[in-house]
Amino acid sequence: MSISDPIENGLKGGWLHIDASTLQVSRHFEADVVIVGTGAGGGVAADILTQAGLKVIMIEAGALKSSKDFDMEERTAYPNLYQQAASMKTADKGISIFQGRTVGGATTINWTTSIRTPEPTLDFWAKEKSVVGLDTQSLAPWFDTMEQQLNISTWLYEPNRNNGALLEGCNKLGWQSTVIKRNVKGCWNTGYCGMGCPVNAKQSMLVTTIPSALDAGAQLISRAKVMQIEHSEGKVTGLKAQVVNTNFEPRGTTLTFSAKHYILSAGAIHTPALLMRSNTPDPFELLGRTFLHPSLLSGGIYDEQIKGHSGAPQSIYSDEFVWRDGASGDLGYKLEVAPVHPVLVASKTLGYGQSHAELMKNFNRMQVVIALIRDGFNEQCPGGQVRLTDSGFALDYPLTDGFWQGAKRAFLSMAELQFAAGAKQVRPMTEGLPQLNSWAEAKAEIETADLGLLRTVVASAHVMGGCPMGEDRLISMVNSEGSSHYLENLSVMDGSVFPTSLGANPQLSIYALVARNASLLAQRLKPVVG
Amino acid sequence: MQRRTFLTGAFVGTAALALGVNLYPNKVEAPAEDLYSRLLFSVLVPVFLDGMLPEVAKPREIVINRTLDAISEAIKVLPSEQQQELAELLGQLESRLGLLLLSGSVTPLIMRQPQQLISMLESWRFHYLQLLQTAYLGLRELVMASYYACPEHWGGIGYAKPSFLLK
Repeated sequence: MSISDPIENGLKGGWLHIDASTLQVSRHFEADVVIVGTGAGGGVAADILTQAGLKVIMIEAGALKSSKDFDMEERTAYPNLYQQAASMKTADKGISIFQGRTVGGATTINWTTSIRTPEPTLDFWAKEKSVVGLDTQSLAPWFDTMEQQLNISTWLYEPNRNNGALLEGCNKLGWQSTVIKRNVKGCWNTGYCGMGCPVNAKQSMLVTTIPSALDAGAQLISRAKVMQIEHSEGKVTGLKAQVVNTNFEPRGTTLTFSAKHYILSAGAIHTPALLMRSNTPDPFELLGRTFLHPSLLSGGIYDEQIKGHSGAPQSIYSDEFVWRDGASGDLGYKLEVAPVHPVLVASKTLGYGQSHAELMKNFNRMQVVIALIRDGFNEQCPGGQVRLTDSGFALDYPLTDGFWQGAKRAFLSMAELQFAAGAKQVRPMTEGLPQLNSWAEAKAEIETADLGLLRTVVASAHVMGGCPMGEDRLISMVNSEGSSHYLENLSVMDGSVFPTSLGANPQLSIYALVARNASLLAQRLKPVVG
Repeated sequence: MQRRTFLTGAFVGTAALALGVNLYPNKVEAPAEDLYSRLLFSVLVPVFLDGMLPEVAKPREIVINRTLDAISEAIKVLPSEQQQELAELLGQLESRLGLLLLSGSVTPLIMRQPQQLISMLESWRFHYLQLLQTAYLGLRELVMASYYACPEHWGGIGYAKPSFLLK
């Protein structure tokens, strides 16, 4: 079947796109607004500002790929579409981090889960983090707008068995569960969202806001990595970017940019790292405090075929434990499932040789639950810290005793759920535990398990924070509209502005918040540059 | 083309301290291009993948070679910093003194029996020193990811990608 390729069509139609890896000489570019990054924040901002009549340039370190490049194989997707070929880890190697590096950012490779910002999170920000004007009521129109634009609606099809087991376990235990809203249009329900949607059903930035902005005259420069913000007397005066080659290594060619306004949407690690590298003002040393939703994994083996690689990757979640002890209480965790693809599973399970082979031979009977720990709300799990290194950056993320206590509760919940759903064996992904054959056995073993760094598999696909918003300069870098407290023509529009983690998958929160803030910015800029 | 290695600078730094050597004398050649590295992985791959490799010699050799190629490809797409860390580890495993420090024996890995290699990996896996755990995890993840990245290895686990886009 022929798949319509909006990227190919747009390029043929004359989009202003430069693959910087092809440039032989240094160049200078000018615009009304320059946006660094093209993910959930940059894509939405680019579209809104372009439609408002402003000349916009989007700069992206990753490459421009399209559905014809998405071959549904991890060996292609990870090096082409993920930061550090999906090998990124915290400095102590304790947490694996999956983050996008491609036009469209993480929206190109995420699992489509779309959840509005939880009310307890917004309340916490208002009360503790000096955030103003962001409550459920005031954000509702922005959520409505983005849900409509990106076809975000409740997944009406039967969940695949991977998600179905989560639902079944919740129902049997009387736990809360919710059918997930997904940003898809004409989804083929194949289960390969994490490798780029090969049929352009996922309404990522790659096929929605970015084409819309390019159709309206915006310019996209891919494979250019912004390295420096030049600033003077409280204003940004320009950006410098390195051209990278097809392996994302610097080529020695430099691009410079000047604009009336600059927006950072490089994501929760690269936005603060760029600000730190550029020596922008940070008198209270707030840059780089990062939240990850550090997540635990539990594998269940069932008699029936699960085939967790097939079908919508996430369609059910449970918030039974997220807010049980209040936002600032003991660590809560969201229960979701992870798709089961060979490289992901083989590398995020335990052991080797015969035991690992046995696990992999049960590949199609394996169901994987994940527990996403809600971090940043108290000292039990305060988050990590980005720091600069000679070669780039590192993320220190100490896993505290409080975290491990939360992790133990999460492993218990996941095992209880999986046995309730019919699992014959459960394998919490932590070294030292035997194969667990009943809930009673699991309860006894997990309660005495010795969880710890490197022994326990911890992963994250939700990088947040690093440039917090709020009105109190003692605890924030940008105001509640994303405008820098220190550089008058700089805004931050991505998940780095979250003052804590969300307790929910971040993409829809970024869409709505950036839609609001970019619209406010467009109103401010139009009279000046119109 | 696969993609994940996870060795730490701490490993390198601590080993250097213990050995009293400068670990950065020259740029270490990318291990993918290094014959010794391939030899080293050729003895580790059968241990890591025991139970997934064919028993018959010729098909077994083909699968091992394919995995070694995949490891080579994987290393090439990793950030240079990670390539360097891996090269340092492999260099230590090549050096007699490094090998003694890491495994308690100067016998080259390519001369060891599978059970001896398992003992070494088990020691690293549960070691109290995080640097040895990291070495285990780095090698493990690189081998596992590389093997399972190859479509020709999916038959054993009953996995196949959808065929609707195949030309």
